[in-house]
Amino acid sequence: MAVKRRSELAKTYDFKSWRDLTPMNISAGTMLHNMTGSWRFMKPIYEDKVPACQNACPAGNDIEGWIRLVQQGEYEMAYWHLKREQPFPAILGRVCFEFCEGACNRAPFDDPLGIKELERFVGDRVIPSTPHPDLPGDNGKSLAVVGSGPAGMSAAYYGRLLGFRVTIFEELPQMGGILRVGIPSYRLPREVVAADFEGLRKMGIELRPKTAVGKDIPFNDLCRDYDYVFLATGAHASRKLNVEGGDESHRIMSGLALLNRVALGEEVDLGNKVVVIGGGNTAIDVSRTAIRLGSHATVIYRRSETEMPAHPEEVGEAREEDVRFRFLATPERIEVNDDGTIRRLVCCEMELGPADHSGRRRPVKRHGALFDLEADSILAAIGEVPLFDYLDNIVKTENGVIPVNEGLGVDVENDGKARIFAGGDIINIPHTVAHAVASGKKAAIAIDCATKGVDFAEVLKEIAIGDGPAISFSKYMGWKPVNPVRQNSRAVVDSEKIEYDYFDKAPQVEKKIQAGEVRKNSFEAYSGTFSEDEALHEAGRCMHCGRCTECDNCLIFCPDVSILVIDNGHFGYSIDYDYCKGCGICFTECPRCAMSMVDTEIPIEGEG
Amino acid sequence: MRQVIKGNHAVSQAVKLSRVEVISAFPITPQTTIVEELSEMCARGDVDAKFIKVESEHSAMAGLVGASTAGVRTFTATSGNGLLLMHEVLHWAAGARLPIVMANVNRAVSGVWNIWADQTDSLSQRDTGWIQIYCESNQEVLDSIIMVYKLAEKVSLPVMVAYDAFFLSHTSEIVDVPEIEQVDEFLPRYTPEVRPEFDDPRMFGGFVDTEYFYEQRYAMHRASLDALEYYPEVCKEFKHIFGREYDIVEEYRTEDAGAILVTAGTITSVARIAIDGMRKQGKKIGLMKLRMLRPVPVERWREVLDKARKVIVIDRNISAGLGGVFSSEIQAALYPLENRPVVYPVIAGIGGRDITPADVEGIVNYALSNGKPAKMPLCWGLKQ
Repeated sequence: MAVKRRSELAKTYDFKSWRDLTPMNISAGTMLHNMTGSWRFMKPIYEDKVPACQNACPAGNDIEGWIRLVQQGEYEMAYWHLKREQPFPAILGRVCFEFCEGACNRAPFDDPLGIKELERFVGDRVIPSTPHPDLPGDNGKSLAVVGSGPAGMSAAYYGRLLGFRVTIFEELPQMGGILRVGIPSYRLPREVVAADFEGLRKMGIELRPKTAVGKDIPFNDLCRDYDYVFLATGAHASRKLNVEGGDESHRIMSGLALLNRVALGEEVDLGNKVVVIGGGNTAIDVSRTAIRLGSHATVIYRRSETEMPAHPEEVGEAREEDVRFRFLATPERIEVNDDGTIRRLVCCEMELGPADHSGRRRPVKRHGALFDLEADSILAAIGEVPLFDYLDNIVKTENGVIPVNEGLGVDVENDGKARIFAGGDIINIPHTVAHAVASGKKAAIAIDCATKGVDFAEVLKEIAIGDGPAISFSKYMGWKPVNPVRQNSRAVVDSEKIEYDYFDKAPQVEKKIQAGEVRKNSFEAYSGTFSEDEALHEAGRCMHCGRCTECDNCLIFCPDVSILVIDNGHFGYSIDYDYCKGCGICFTECPRCAMSMVDTEIPIEGEG
Repeated sequence: MRQVIKGNHAVSQAVKLSRVEVISAFPITPQTTIVEELSEMCARGDVDAKFIKVESEHSAMAGLVGASTAGVRTFTATSGNGLLLMHEVLHWAAGARLPIVMANVNRAVSGVWNIWADQTDSLSQRDTGWIQIYCESNQEVLDSIIMVYKLAEKVSLPVMVAYDAFFLSHTSEIVDVPEIEQVDEFLPRYTPEVRPEFDDPRMFGGFVDTEYFYEQRYAMHRASLDALEYYPEVCKEFKHIFGREYDIVEEYRTEDAGAILVTAGTITSVARIAIDGMRKQGKKIGLMKLRMLRPVPVERWREVLDKARKVIVIDRNISAGLGGVFSSEIQAALYPLENRPVVYPVIAGIGGRDITPADVEGIVNYALSNGKPAKMPLCWGLKQ
């Protein structure tokens, strides 16, 4: 066939002399008859994957998706898209521990993306009580949520989106749990929490503050009256300070109790010098609250700074507010006067011995290395534990938490019809707001599966994100992603898969934070939300890992001109598999790993 | 405007004045300051050109093949091993009939390693189809770059302007840098007839079989010969606008010469001094400065060298197993002459070794005192 073609061409391009030729030969016909696609043994496809940030988020927030909408100026769409996986951006955008930023693929290049700041921007952009676009009707089943902290809020939100009639029970007069009485207002203003509750109420969720399950309503009755119960009462009791002379008084108290009292509006006088015992985020919050109450604060922690569980950013901010730190120290005994004031706080120096079961080196007291610390008040923030009295022993606990199965369901025999689920700080998950919110979402889905008689474990396989344990509510509901490309929600794009050469360096947009010496005097919020300009600038730094942005690299590099631009209003490229040789250059040069090479023997669904 | 500038600077000035549009380059001593300066000019906007940084000389030339095919004026510079790395693409550029201009700083080729003046690099590329010009001074370098754009674009062949490492590249000389208006008058915009069109896409330089290639190559050869015809026109026009002229060969005191030296590059300047000295002694010595090597100006060489009985060719290069390249080319050109002069091939200055007027005098005396040349080329200054 090739011979025939050549002679055909020769006839059309007859020349008699060398003078008849053009200096450089230029093709007259085509090579389209040569379908080089037949040479292929692997083929490229466009396949959106899970970026490292989404993989690290306990809630599986589709960060790339809503950032893409922010870049397009679609802030409201970004808000509702964000809420699909995490319902409270104004809150988490202020208090989350930014697991996403820690994993951001931009970090090895210049600075990680300011995802939390962007989430805050989006969250502050839309009033939560705006009518929800995805509200369904009633599915005829009822869900009681016990506890109005982040886990309960989340379960209520997703439960309502699944059609349940939801009631949130809260023993305190104020809704919000740890968000309202644990995290200080300078980090999370009350209005922000209140606004999100207004949003929940507008969705049709019943809020019942000042209603303590166990006291006002027996737990048994709840189980009788509701189809499903989600327990989310959190960890609000402090571990007791086990030190001679350490009995609670008006000068010796739990740090959490102090935060509660301040949050509920009480004026507290801690005296001149406050010593806070502990190394977690509560200890930090307590010390910074003490500063704002006008005291000096010193935090003592029995291990070293590197082992502190507190978020380093919080520790840094505390330092800026003149909180002092004393590491490798523990209280030895407290000498108290008759009137309850502290005469002496004796501490002992510690040193690090071998590692304990948590992997951290165990601190041991150094013999005789005692020293005094001046203290007018001593605040213990050495761990928060849940209280389970209200359960009337209907639900068993183990090691201080409620054991749950894969779907956060609680195994229990009870009188009532309700199936019981649990989440947040009362189960064995990390004590962060993000994990609590994620557990509420998971429970809601598991409850929905229970309603439909569907095996949650099977569903989990379909909706798990990346390496897990985060799950996708959007996938569960069958909602379309922002980018209409084939999705692979298990493949995670880490920094090794990014071609950094195709990006320009750009430093992170600076956060607006008041200086330490200014903010330490007030309980007002000390950081500002991004302006629209700042948000667009920061959002522009997103590398869109694993998600096609139609940057044209594949098209430019394809040696077979087999990547074609199509303009059908959806996704912009198609691959001409008649000619694509499967060389893999498009896949290799994609800056963000938004393509995959697949074996041609395996049929690809939806391919056409 | 008269300035005191180095040879490399003269090149970058000439490229700027020639309104080059794409420069694709990779550094190598001693040409690097050419492309460094050009990249700075591009960054500042002094020259409206796209500067493409590439990772090797092979890519540098390949980039220009693409750019030139797209129909813009292009430039690159290289030297020594860098030129060798481009070798395959040099053939392509000529075969594709692209008017690319390149400055090559003549530097020794490695192994072993040497960075100084030696002509083996460009001479080893004499079969690629590129037109080759050898320069004696920084002024000539600047002027040649401008001139050869006109030549290249007329005959559709690439041109290499060669000059000695360090002796010119890094040595300051007085150079009259023309005004842009003068150059604009001399050198119109490059507008090739055939260039890629988006609405009529074609393949350029694709596969041809046995029925086409021969004629294509012949056309290339004829184009190179056409350059010989066209060059004097270019020369004349250049002289008219700039007041300087550079003939295909330059004759110096050859009218009554019994022996004529043939040199290329900076040896020429040294030779002029030596010849003046020897003329004072009453020796009738002349000089033919070899400027164009490809195409071979056979007629002119014969015309000039036939005047003398002895021709002494100094090669700053060695083609192992042959000897000096210029002497080989000269002898081939003179072969058909009935009473051809005796050629004394001499090799000197390899790897940047200095050649002084005394050296040239010694070389000439060797020729004068020997009726026949030695069996091997005279390797002047070799440590025996």
